[in-house]
Amino acid sequence: MSIEIRAISKRFGSFVALHDVTLDIPSGELVALLGPSGCGKTTLLRIIAGMESPDSGHILFAGEEATHVHARERKVGFVFQHYALFRHMSVFENVAFGLRVKPRKLRPAEAEIRRRVSELLKLVQLDWLAERYPSQLSGGQRQRIALARALAVEPRVLLLDEPFGALDTRVRKELRRWLRRLHDEMHISSVFVTHDQEEALEVADRVVVMNQGRVEQIGSPDDVYSHPASPFVYQFLGNVNVFHSRVHGAWADIGREQAQDLPADEATAFVRPHDIEIEHRPAPGGLAATVQQVHTVGPLVRVELAYASELIEVELTRERARSLALREGQQVWFRPRELRVFAVPQSGLEEGGSGI
Amino acid sequence: MPVPHYRQQLLPGFRLALGCALVYLSLIVVLPLTGLAIKASQLSLAEFWQTASGERALASYRVTFGASLLAATINCFFGLIVAWILVRYSFPGKRLIDALVDLPFALPTAVAGITLATLYAENGWIGRYLEPLGLKVAFTPLGIVVALTFVSLPFVVRTLQPVLEDIEPEVEEAAASLGASRFQTFVRVLLPTILPALLTGFTLALSRSVGEYGSVIFIAGNMPLISEITPLLIISKLEQYDVVGATALATVMLAISFVLLLAVNALQWWTAHRDGRDGAGTGQP
Repeated sequence: MSIEIRAISKRFGSFVALHDVTLDIPSGELVALLGPSGCGKTTLLRIIAGMESPDSGHILFAGEEATHVHARERKVGFVFQHYALFRHMSVFENVAFGLRVKPRKLRPAEAEIRRRVSELLKLVQLDWLAERYPSQLSGGQRQRIALARALAVEPRVLLLDEPFGALDTRVRKELRRWLRRLHDEMHISSVFVTHDQEEALEVADRVVVMNQGRVEQIGSPDDVYSHPASPFVYQFLGNVNVFHSRVHGAWADIGREQAQDLPADEATAFVRPHDIEIEHRPAPGGLAATVQQVHTVGPLVRVELAYASELIEVELTRERARSLALREGQQVWFRPRELRVFAVPQSGLEEGGSGI
Repeated sequence: MPVPHYRQQLLPGFRLALGCALVYLSLIVVLPLTGLAIKASQLSLAEFWQTASGERALASYRVTFGASLLAATINCFFGLIVAWILVRYSFPGKRLIDALVDLPFALPTAVAGITLATLYAENGWIGRYLEPLGLKVAFTPLGIVVALTFVSLPFVVRTLQPVLEDIEPEVEEAAASLGASRFQTFVRVLLPTILPALLTGFTLALSRSVGEYGSVIFIAGNMPLISEITPLLIISKLEQYDVVGATALATVMLAISFVLLLAVNALQWWTAHRDGRDGAGTGQP
């Protein structure tokens, strides 16, 4: 089922959580709402679920007005960051809850409930835990039970609020692949909230990047990473070097075609650390810098260059670093392979920050 | 129950700590009660029975335990509402209400009794409006219930508060998103979670009410067979130098209280364990 979000605004006191957000979630897609904490992504999700009501704007489910429909009538499955399982109920009863609270006329027979619950538990691969209690499960298992519980009522939409936020890295990776597979099997429209760009890029069909209550960019994971629409998106999705002036010696040439009409001192250039080439000899378009530090981080070698008063981060492959044989204090020349120039000096994020 | 294995603990040694606990409990609780039992045992069984099952005594048990059970039940209901309001909502004057809850703890019970008696008397602020309705509160068993409700309220509220604070609002939202009505959410999700704590609160309120003397005697009217509580009967026996008779009544009271508390505790144990939990986070005494 498709969801249409039309000009939704929401304030909490003087804090603007959402500012005129319009968004379409096509049927069957897995959409990630990505942004830093406080950007309004969870508020938007809760408004879709009917747990929060917008100050203005509309929500349409499959083209039908749903703005003021109560959460329990929306047929929405919701998965919470901290699971929110019923701790006095067994895993089985947790999953069966949505079926047991149905009005008598719609409630399936006991045998049917048993069949459905065990089917769902098999789907999340935890049928052997049916008699356990939530306190006896690991975080990853709890979240899968929470998902099975949400799916039991056959929701039209599945909403997940930072579903893997409370889990450790390894379990998180495993679960997000599993979620992707599950989504491909079920073809249910799903929206999940995350502040982890890697998670959003890996799992989602479509990423919605949000900042300060507004949508910054909507696009496929490749789209938002390769063609960021704003400096914020650029900085939020991965590490970046920021140059707060268009004219950086020879660099101005490279950026010129994008920033022609802009006053020289108001532009900002963004370069990803892995898009910088280091040479031992001066090259056309190269800038002189001094090597400050060289770290090996897993498969990459991270080099910090001192250029004028700025620190520039460069990521090299191990082979490239070996052939360069960089030493600290050495004079080198660097040259961006790709960069992007934006008009306004931006933004809330610290320079070169990873955005998390 | 098998002795649980214990990890490195803050307090020195399990044996030492257990020893301290037992000695302390013996001195403070067991010794006086044993003295009571010994004193009562000076009576022959027939004499004991005669004192303990006299018409006035039986009536006083009924009044004492009846009023206490009623007061504890009323407080479970309204105490839950008060605790809920204090935990879930923020409103101006919340701290004041929070402090008010403790007032029955701090106020001398005699003061409470006199105040309530004045309020609920025929010409009192509240009593004058109840009088035309045919409701007499002061100097009737109903007055006893009012006094006991007053003194035992904090126990229910204070036991429930931490448990309610522990319940994440998300659990209710989860229930709602699964299609549960408010009533279903309360009965199926909230109540089972707070039931052990509610029972603890009930037990504490009941114990307090059964032992209450100061506030009750001022509002009860103390008419034999109608509004006379057992503690008062004990005092009046003591005033007549009938120490043995007083201990006999006290022993019966103690026995009934003990059985009641044991029953509630068993119920509580059952609610905590029927679902395989270890009673964790349920505020057990």
